[in-house]
Order: sequence, then C-alpha cells, then structure tokens
Amino acid sequence: MEFLNAVLLAGMAAVTIPVVIHLFHRSRFRIVNWGAMHLLESVLRKNTRRLKLEQLILLLLRCAIPVFLAICMARPVITGLEPLLGNAKSSTVLVLDNSYSMEAGGPGRTNFQEAREAARQIVDQQVQGSDVALVSMAGGASAGAEPTFDLDRARGELSRSRSGFGTALAYDSLRAAQATASKMHHAHREIVVLSDFQKVSWGEEGGLPGATRARLADELARGPVKPTVTFFRVGREITDNVSMEQPTFSRMILGVGQKLVVHANLKNHGDQSYPDLRVVLKVDGRERSVAQTSLDPHAHAQVLFTHAFDTAGSHVVELMADADPLTADNGWLASIPVWDRVPVLLVSGDPNPEPLRGETDFIEIALRPFGAAKVELADLITTSTIEARDLDQKRLAEARVVLLANVPQLNEAQLKALDAFVREGGGLLIFPGNRINSAWYNTTLAADGRGLLPLPVVSLAGSMNQAGTQSSIVAQHFEHPALEMFNDPRNGNLSDAQIWLWYKMRAELGRNADPTLTVLARLDTGDPLLVEKQFGEGRVIQAAIPCDADWSNLPMRPFYLPLMQQLVTYLASKVHPSRNVDVGRPLVAFLPLADAGKKALFTDPDGRATEVVVANRGTRGMVEFTQTDRPGLYVLDAPGGNRIHFVANTDRKESDLRQLDPGELQAVAKAMGATVVTSWAEYRQMDQKRRYGQEVWQMLLVGVLGFIFLEMLLEQFFARRRT
Amino acid sequence: MAQLGELLTPADLKKISNLQVLARLVVEGFCTGLHRSPHKGFSVEFKQHRQYVHGDEIRHLDWRVFGKTDRFYIREYEEETNLRATILLDASGSMAYGGPENSKLKYATRLAASLAYLMLQQQDSVGLVTFDTEVRRYIPARSQTSHLKVLVNELQGTQTGGETELAKVFHDLVPRIHRRGLLIVLSDCFGDVQNLLTALAHLRHAHHEIMIFQIWDPDELTFPFRQWTRFDCLEIGGKKHLIDPNHLRSAYLANLERFRADLKQGCHRHRIDLVPLTTDRPYSEALAEYLTLRMRR
Repeated sequence: MEFLNAVLLAGMAAVTIPVVIHLFHRSRFRIVNWGAMHLLESVLRKNTRRLKLEQLILLLLRCAIPVFLAICMARPVITGLEPLLGNAKSSTVLVLDNSYSMEAGGPGRTNFQEAREAARQIVDQQVQGSDVALVSMAGGASAGAEPTFDLDRARGELSRSRSGFGTALAYDSLRAAQATASKMHHAHREIVVLSDFQKVSWGEEGGLPGATRARLADELARGPVKPTVTFFRVGREITDNVSMEQPTFSRMILGVGQKLVVHANLKNHGDQSYPDLRVVLKVDGRERSVAQTSLDPHAHAQVLFTHAFDTAGSHVVELMADADPLTADNGWLASIPVWDRVPVLLVSGDPNPEPLRGETDFIEIALRPFGAAKVELADLITTSTIEARDLDQKRLAEARVVLLANVPQLNEAQLKALDAFVREGGGLLIFPGNRINSAWYNTTLAADGRGLLPLPVVSLAGSMNQAGTQSSIVAQHFEHPALEMFNDPRNGNLSDAQIWLWYKMRAELGRNADPTLTVLARLDTGDPLLVEKQFGEGRVIQAAIPCDADWSNLPMRPFYLPLMQQLVTYLASKVHPSRNVDVGRPLVAFLPLADAGKKALFTDPDGRATEVVVANRGTRGMVEFTQTDRPGLYVLDAPGGNRIHFVANTDRKESDLRQLDPGELQAVAKAMGATVVTSWAEYRQMDQKRRYGQEVWQMLLVGVLGFIFLEMLLEQFFARRRT
Repeated sequence: MAQLGELLTPADLKKISNLQVLARLVVEGFCTGLHRSPHKGFSVEFKQHRQYVHGDEIRHLDWRVFGKTDRFYIREYEEETNLRATILLDASGSMAYGGPENSKLKYATRLAASLAYLMLQQQDSVGLVTFDTEVRRYIPARSQTSHLKVLVNELQGTQTGGETELAKVFHDLVPRIHRRGLLIVLSDCFGDVQNLLTALAHLRHAHHEIMIFQIWDPDELTFPFRQWTRFDCLEIGGKKHLIDPNHLRSAYLANLERFRADLKQGCHRHRIDLVPLTTDRPYSEALAEYLTLRMRR
C-alpha cells in the first residue's frame, strides 16, 4: 500500500476534532438552577447508560469519518508487493504476429490491422524517452529488430508492417524479443505479444510444447533484467478456411510440348462444406484450365490438371481455389522453366565410323529420333558426341547432361571439370564397357563414396556364350520418377530385354551406405542395374551395362528409346539453383560470364525492385537475392534481357485457424509468467495498475459517505428511541 | 409596608376593574338562572345608581329614573356572599425558577394579590396560606378591605424555601380550615402526583372547592437548553447533573406530558379546576380566564 499524497495523511489528526468538540462543549457548560428536578431525574435514571453507549458509538463513527477522509485524500494505492513504475520510461518490445492467418478477421478489419492498431496505441502511450522495438513473428524479420527512442519512427515502422507471411514462430520470435529487450536501456522492460494465438504456433502439439515453454521461460528470465511478458490476443477466431496445400508437379522443368501433370491438393479446415469449389490453373497469369470439386468439412480433395507449354522460357503456374475470404492460402505458385532443348554431351570411349558400331550410336538415335530420321519434327534433346580426350570445361559448359559411354579413364583436369559440372547441378550418366579401367573407376572415380561414381564395380558377371547365365531386368513397381512410366505396361516391358554380361557392383547397402544412393532397377540376379547418387546439386546415374548392344539386346527393345529419354530428361530436370524455394531461402541464378559486374533487378511480391550486381564465379556469373521472407512471386530481370521467375512458398500450417482456447492460453501464459489481455482497454487498465497501482480512494469515499449516512441514521434512531 | 402599586401595575388594575364587572355578571347569572352559580342562596341588594356609560347593557338601565330625570342611570347591585376563599401559595424552592424578577413565586404572589384584591372588592373573605415543606404562615380569611394590606404585606415578604411537599401540607390544612370554602392553590405541583391527588381528595372530602393555578415557567415546558448544562437543584442543595440537554429533551418532554396528563386526569376525577399558567402570560389575563371558567360553573 502506498499513498500518492502521503502528506494529507496528517489530516488523520482530525480524529481529535470530535473529541475536542465534545470536551469543549462539556467544559463550557452553563449552570441552571432547576426546579423541575423530579421530571429530569426520572429521565436521567432511565437513560444514562444507554445514552453513554449511544454517545460512544456516535463518537467512534464521527472519529472514523475524518480518518477515512484523510486516507481517502491521501489517495492510497494498492501495489501488491511490486514497486510502482509511475511515469518511469520503459523499454517495450512489440512482437507482432504477421503470419497470413492474421489476415482473417471480422468484416472490414483483419486481425492484423487490429493488432497493428493496438501496437500503435501502446506506442502512443509510451512516456517520452522510452524505447520501442518491433519484432515480427513470421517472415524472419525478427533478426533486424532495432530499438528506437524515436516513437514516430516506431509508428512509421508499424504502419509499414504487413501481414501475409508464413508460420508464426513463437519460440524464435520470443527469443529474438528477449535478445532485443536485453539490448534496451530502461529498467522496466516489457514484451507485448500481439497475436491470434493459433494452436499451430502456440499449442502443446504445435510450435510450443511444454518442454519448449519451460525452456523459453528460462531464457526469458535470463539476462540482466527480466522483462514482463504480456500476451495480447487480438481479433476473433474464424475456423472456416480452405487451403491449397503443396501441389505435386510431375516435373519442375520440362521441354516445350511436354506434358506437365499437376495435382492440386485442397484441404478444408472448417465445418463448412463446399459442394462446387472452383479450382483454376493459371499459367503466366492467364486462366488455362478450370475444375470443380466438392470439399466436405475437414476433408482433403485433389484436382488434376495437365498443361503443355508451347514456348520456352520461365513460366509461372498458379493454382487458385475460389473459397473463403482468407485468400493468402487459397493459391499456390510455382516457377516452371521450359527448355526448347536439352543439350547432351555424349563422350564415347569406343568411337567407330561404322553405323551402329560406335559406343554411343544407339543412344544418339534414341535421344534425338527425329533428327536421326531426318524429319521436320524437333527433338527436345540435342546431342553432340566427342571422344574422351576432347572432354573439357568448355564442352561441359554447353551441356546439361553428360554421358560417359565405355570411357576408359579421364585425366585429372577432365575429372575436376566434370566434378564441378555435376556439383553445380549437371547430370551425369555412366555406362561401362569392355574398355573401362576398373581400377581407375573404383579408386579415382568412386573415391570411397566421395567421388562421382555411385558404386565401385567389382567384376563382370554373366557370359556371352553360356546359355542360362543371362539375366533380365526385374519387372517391379518403379518408384523412381525416371522409370515411373514403365509401371504402365503400354509403355513397354523392361523385363523383355536379355542381358548377357554386366558389371557387378559392390554391395550398395550397409551401415556406411550413402543415404543419397538409390537403386532404380535391378537384374533378376539381384544385382543393381541402375544406381543413382546425389552429388552436390547434381545427380549421377550409373548403369551396370553399356548403352550399346554389345552385352545386351536392350537397344533392340522398344522401351530403349523412352528409357534413355527418361533418364536424360530426369537428369536434366534438376533445376539448379531451385526456382521454387521456401520463404527466407536465398534466390540464386547463374548468368553468362559476360553479365558479371552488370546490374540485375529483383522485383519482390510487393512490387519493390532491388538492384543486384552479378558476381563473377569463374566460369559464369551469379546473382543472389536474400530478402525472400514474403511468400510470392519474385522476378529477376537479367542484364541480358532474360526474365527468370522465382517463387517463395510457405507451408500451410497457418491455415489451421484454430486458436488456443482461453484455458490453454492461460496455461501457456502461466508457464512463461505472462499476463493475458484481450483488448486495448484491458491492457491499459493493467498498465495503469502497474504504473500507478490500484487506487482505492473511491471505495474509501464511499466508506466515508456511508459513515456519514450511518451517523445520521443512528442519531435519528437513538433520538427516536429516547422519546 | 409595600405599596399596592408595586404588586399591581396600573394596567393590571384597569383590567381587574373590568373583571369586577364580570364578577358581578356571575352573580347576575345566578339570579337569572341562565348560568349555574356556585354560590347558591346569595341575596342581591341594591347598592347605588351610576351614570350610564357607553358600553353598559341597556337592560340594566333604570327606566324609572329615566322617566323622572330624563337621564340614563344604571342600577348597581351589591352582592352579599358567604364565599370564603383561602389562597394557598407554594413558596418551595422550585418556585424560585426564572430568576429574581420573573420567578414563578413572583408571578404567583402577584396573582395572589390580584385575586385577593378582586375578592375583597367583591366583599368576599380572603385568607392566605404560604408553605413549602410545611405551612409557614396561615392568615385566616377576612372580608374587610383593610385585610388586603395584611395579605399584601405577607405576600411581599414571602421567600422561597425548601422542598415542595404539597400532600403533607394539604393534609395538615384540613383540620385548620374549618369552614367550607374555596381553596385557590398557586403552585407548580411538583412532586408525586398520586400523593398530591390523595391530599386534594382529602380537602375535597372536607367540602372545599379547589382550584389549582399550576404555575409553569416556559423553560420547564419547552426545555430550550442547547449547550451542555449543569442543572442545580433549587430545593436540595448539592444535587446537580451535568448533561447534554439535546439528548434528553424529547425524553424530558415526554415525561412532562405524562406528568401533566396524570395531574389533569386526577383533578378532573376530583372535580378540581386545574389551570396551567406560564409566567410569560400576563397574570391578569390568566385571572380573566379563571373567572370566565368560574362563571360557567
């Protein structure tokens, strides 16, 4: 208990006034010589004791009135055990939930707008000289939160802040807030979290399980001054929401005319049913296909779209559902590059001028059948064949996929260039043969799992002459995208082919096995036929047999052509650097070396353009853009006039709009020692109480008035009783 | 010797001379039978004529004299009564209330003088008894005009004394006043009501007519004290009470009402006339009121 006007407590001395008045009157009595004493005495006999008691009660009441009045005027304040802040300056960190779920809300005003308004009011009521910092819960902006003493600047920052970002990270943002608060200047530090407190970010099963809460509470308590934490719940809960989950694209890069298959995945988070939900596929902003589906409450639905691009270049595919008003999660964007050709470099270890005798002759025809047939139709793949000795960096720079066919061995420079080529996203297809130097392959090319070769070759198996030793490919269900098409028997049966000789590879499985290693197909002996390995950003596929018809009749089978086309386009469809990234990840593009030093322009989803200088990376130029916190489409305008699209996507956890119920929120707050408020008025009341305590003079005044009233009543009552 | 003028101011005397007219009316009323007279068997004798003055009743004109002299004369009669009145004046301590000039005793003595004067004027015999706890002085009733001086001297010399003891005094008086007559009590009647009524009944039993002028000071009826007051008893020295009158006023007034009601009821029962008087009322008015009342009986 404290007093704002403690001096006025001296007024309690007024307690003596009634006593003094009483004594004064008693001492200044007059004397009357009275005759009718017998009338007076009988009254006195009956009333003296009662009178004394009544007088005592009235005296106590009259003494209480000035005492209470003095206490009332001294403005007592109940403070609990905490010292009062008064008008002391304070340091406040505003943690603003800017995830896209905050775009839900009442008509005319989103939850985010409400949160921002509340934050502005908090800034407005700061005492001049206080410092304020703004931390965003989503979009990774928290790292850059700098406290400012300039409240106008803080207001400006607030008015510029936007919602629509990905998942609100409760733990990270509160840690960032704590770090910011520890840098601030005033003794009273406060963290105000303005959020919708979704289960996904704050719940036990969401982003803040019990153990994390305890850890966070510990971390908040650390530092020189423990900040007080306030949870400011804004807006109201809306549960009806449909979200477009991550779609599945049959491939992320493809050639002109190739078919792109897109599965749009829809999820209904609410209780509302959508019998005729319209889903649209847009390509480069133009509506290309529309589908309708029905979506039951809490159900999933999938819609299939196909599209073939008729022009090469960077394209943007957008899926959109016409559902609820929270539009941030109703669509999904993807950047799909479309190539007019895939340049493949065929390195032959056994060239031969005779038709179909060379090591790469069959595969060359299989990769560009139209070109081989001299017809007008255009091939997607272009090939160029060289001998092993001609392989160099320049040749590699022109290719997307390199094929080593029966190459005995490479020199060091070639190996280094090839290593770099695959590491930066290139595709490598290795076919063995009778001319390979298996020792070099196993030691240098495999390099104990660190090299390009997925598995070392052990020995030759099978026999060219001996009947019954030949093998065939196991007809299985292929999981790998390159072989997926052969799950449909109409596209050919891989087990048709006969394989007489093949290389056995060292057992690929084991404790130290490379986790990126995949066996695409096996022979019926159990030996791997096709093995894939991730190498840097690129991929390597190693075959157990050559690509010509020496050891098998594979090139004679109808599926040879699609198989080779699939393998090559699979290897070529590795887009590096990726055009579709998670929010917060950098956008990278390789540009011609000639562009190095020039300026490229990145335009973010809000339309803000940023100039980036193209860096020189030896053989090529590179641009990088890191400000990708905002989900959406980013456009790179390269110096050469080339336009590349990037998409930053966020996961759809935020689409589950369920919020913590009041009990759960209290539990979270309790675990972290925070206070929960749900309105500006409530916050203000709490702040006032914290600053100035809870004044109780009103109650005391009521008490004083009560005493006065009681005194009057009692006096009248006593007077009536005396008659 | 005190002058009569000291007790009766000229204004009072003027009023009283009017009252003499009224007193005569009582006798006339008795004669005509219009009113009941308390003095049955009185003879009425012609006394003198006097000149008619404006305001006299025309029926009292002596038409015979008018016929002879052509002037208006009023016939005046002389009453001859056997009324023996004794004034019982309370000189107890409580009668001293009101200060030396306006005390109840002072008021009572003036009233007593007026009554005596009036009665002697009417040829009645008037006696006087002064008392407090006991009879102090007893002057038997006489009807000579000179008797007034005796009475006035006694009244003038009367001082307040001890405690009121009306009952005892009245009991004592019964054997001393032999002849039936009118007893006029001038007192505040303080004391035990029942005892007083018993004593009065005793007097009534001796065939006395009793009339009580109960003398009050206005303070005793209104209890107007506001500040703390020490009430010193006028009758018993050393008895005093320091009180805040505000808290006791209503209780006192209620007690007073009860006392007055008891006394009034008792007097009514014994056919005693009780006339409460306050010292702020002119005693001549009170006297007039009494005679009006007396005339009606």
